[in-house]
Amino acid sequence: MATVRAKGYAHWEGAPVERRFPWWPITRTGIMLAFRRKRFKFAFAMSFVPAFVFLVGLYVSERIDDFRHMIRGGNQLLNITPNYFKAYMTNDFLLLPIVFVLAFAGAGLIADDLKHNSLQLYFARPLRKADYVLGKMSVVAFFVLILTALPGIVLLIFKLVFAGSFKFLLDYPWLPLSILGVSALLTVFFSFGILLLSSLSDKSRYVTILVFMSYFFSDILFGILYGIFRKPALALFSIRANIQQAGAFLFGQKLPHAFAAGWSFLVLAGICLLAAAVLHRKVRSVEVIR
Amino acid sequence: MSIEVKDLQFRYGAIVALDGVSMRLGPGAVGLLGPNGAGKSTLLRVLLGFLVPEKGEGRVLGHDIRRDQARIRRVVGYMPESDCFVAGMDAVTFTSYFGELSGMPRQEAMKRAHEVLFYVGLGESRYRLLDQYSAGMKQRLKLAQALVHDPKILFLDEPTSNLDPHGRIEVLELIKDVASNKDIQVLISSHILADIESICSSVVILNKGKVAAEGRMEDLRAIRYSLYELRIKGEEAPFLADLEAMGCRVDGTEDRLLKVYMPAERDRMDIFRAASRTGVQLRYFVKSRTSLEDLFAGVVGVD
Repeated sequence: MATVRAKGYAHWEGAPVERRFPWWPITRTGIMLAFRRKRFKFAFAMSFVPAFVFLVGLYVSERIDDFRHMIRGGNQLLNITPNYFKAYMTNDFLLLPIVFVLAFAGAGLIADDLKHNSLQLYFARPLRKADYVLGKMSVVAFFVLILTALPGIVLLIFKLVFAGSFKFLLDYPWLPLSILGVSALLTVFFSFGILLLSSLSDKSRYVTILVFMSYFFSDILFGILYGIFRKPALALFSIRANIQQAGAFLFGQKLPHAFAAGWSFLVLAGICLLAAAVLHRKVRSVEVIR
Repeated sequence: MSIEVKDLQFRYGAIVALDGVSMRLGPGAVGLLGPNGAGKSTLLRVLLGFLVPEKGEGRVLGHDIRRDQARIRRVVGYMPESDCFVAGMDAVTFTSYFGELSGMPRQEAMKRAHEVLFYVGLGESRYRLLDQYSAGMKQRLKLAQALVHDPKILFLDEPTSNLDPHGRIEVLELIKDVASNKDIQVLISSHILADIESICSSVVILNKGKVAAEGRMEDLRAIRYSLYELRIKGEEAPFLADLEAMGCRVDGTEDRLLKVYMPAERDRMDIFRAASRTGVQLRYFVKSRTSLEDLFAGVVGVD
């Protein structure tokens, strides 16, 4: 049988389609490529451990009498309130795995395209800059949502299942919205933040280091400055503290730092705006040096 | 006309890349020829909408280059000069991915990716990671991604750069096949004259951002000048001065052969008259077929 080459070039008989979401192939491929990395797969699997621990906590809280001998005064800990969900969504046991997952899955999203000159291939297609950025951003959003909104809602459902009644939901009817609100906040912030860092270098390894550094260094900086000046507002320097402050506000809980949560929202929004400006400059089909 | 541009201007800061470029290109393979920095790649990028011209207008298959960029990109296949791929992908995934981004349904894109990869000779290695591809394979892959959505026009930017002689011949064969046997128009930017000469029916020569010559290859060869090769015996300088006074350009070769580029309106007998006037003997005289190289040297003014 003759090969296609021997037969020569053949025209495509089909017709191109107008996609409602032209960025979707970029997202799907980005997610698929992330799962080809061993380090990512390990980090991704480990990032579900906190959700599992919190699920066990929910179960134990509903069977508190069966476990009383094991807990020894942990009643307060297992008193399930919206604070329990806030703790899951804004504390280090979730934020840290998210940072690890995104460092491995998101570092190369734009950096690899810069390194291998593939931006011109994307823009030789009927794609706008917004489609490209949205496609890459959705990869980050997918992983953040799968680690925040999905377990958050699942935990809430299991709480109701273990309790065998809707009383908890009737007591806190706004809780699903809070979970989705914090998930949305984390999704938007990390999507912009990771793409910002990914566009700063054409080496994904450097970007991975940058992701860890910006998360940890901002927190260390806050620690040092707070140690010197003792001003709570210095928490605005810390990414983690700002997320926790905004998260506590969205869950209607006591704020961890003594300043208005609006400032933290402003800082996070500022980082997103900065990211948008940098992406606008860095993502282009050809590098024009004037 | 499939490509039409009028008075295009583009500059990179103080450097003028395109300076009032106007041209009309019909079907077939067209070569965009010029020395490095002539503005070839810039012109392709302007046509694709990557760069917005400061002045002028243009149409590709009737679509405006300023307003209808998405439509242009749907019907154009672009093969950039530099190496470009997506890390971590194999050739099939890569090619079908860009097919999909061009608007092909996913399954069709996958099927088509297999076809074009066989066509460009990467059928056997289509499941290998692109990171492991050689320069020649990457060049073919770039051609495959440009062809996957079955474009009406192919823009090829230096398609044979970084290739060994064997790889170059193979890629040229592929381009020739696409350009000559199919109803796909090909616009090839190159500074390698032989490549253009072997594939293209028309050529546009750019120099310093301007169109230096444009037309069908035969016409350009014929109308610009006639090329004669001759050897003489006697005092060379007065003879050459006489020829140059007649508007001829004379190049000497190492084996003392003189190449005389004579304006079309002149008669070959003028050479004999000049020889007679300056007292030299013509020992060898032959009318030579002008090559693209001669034309290029003539209009760009380089050897």
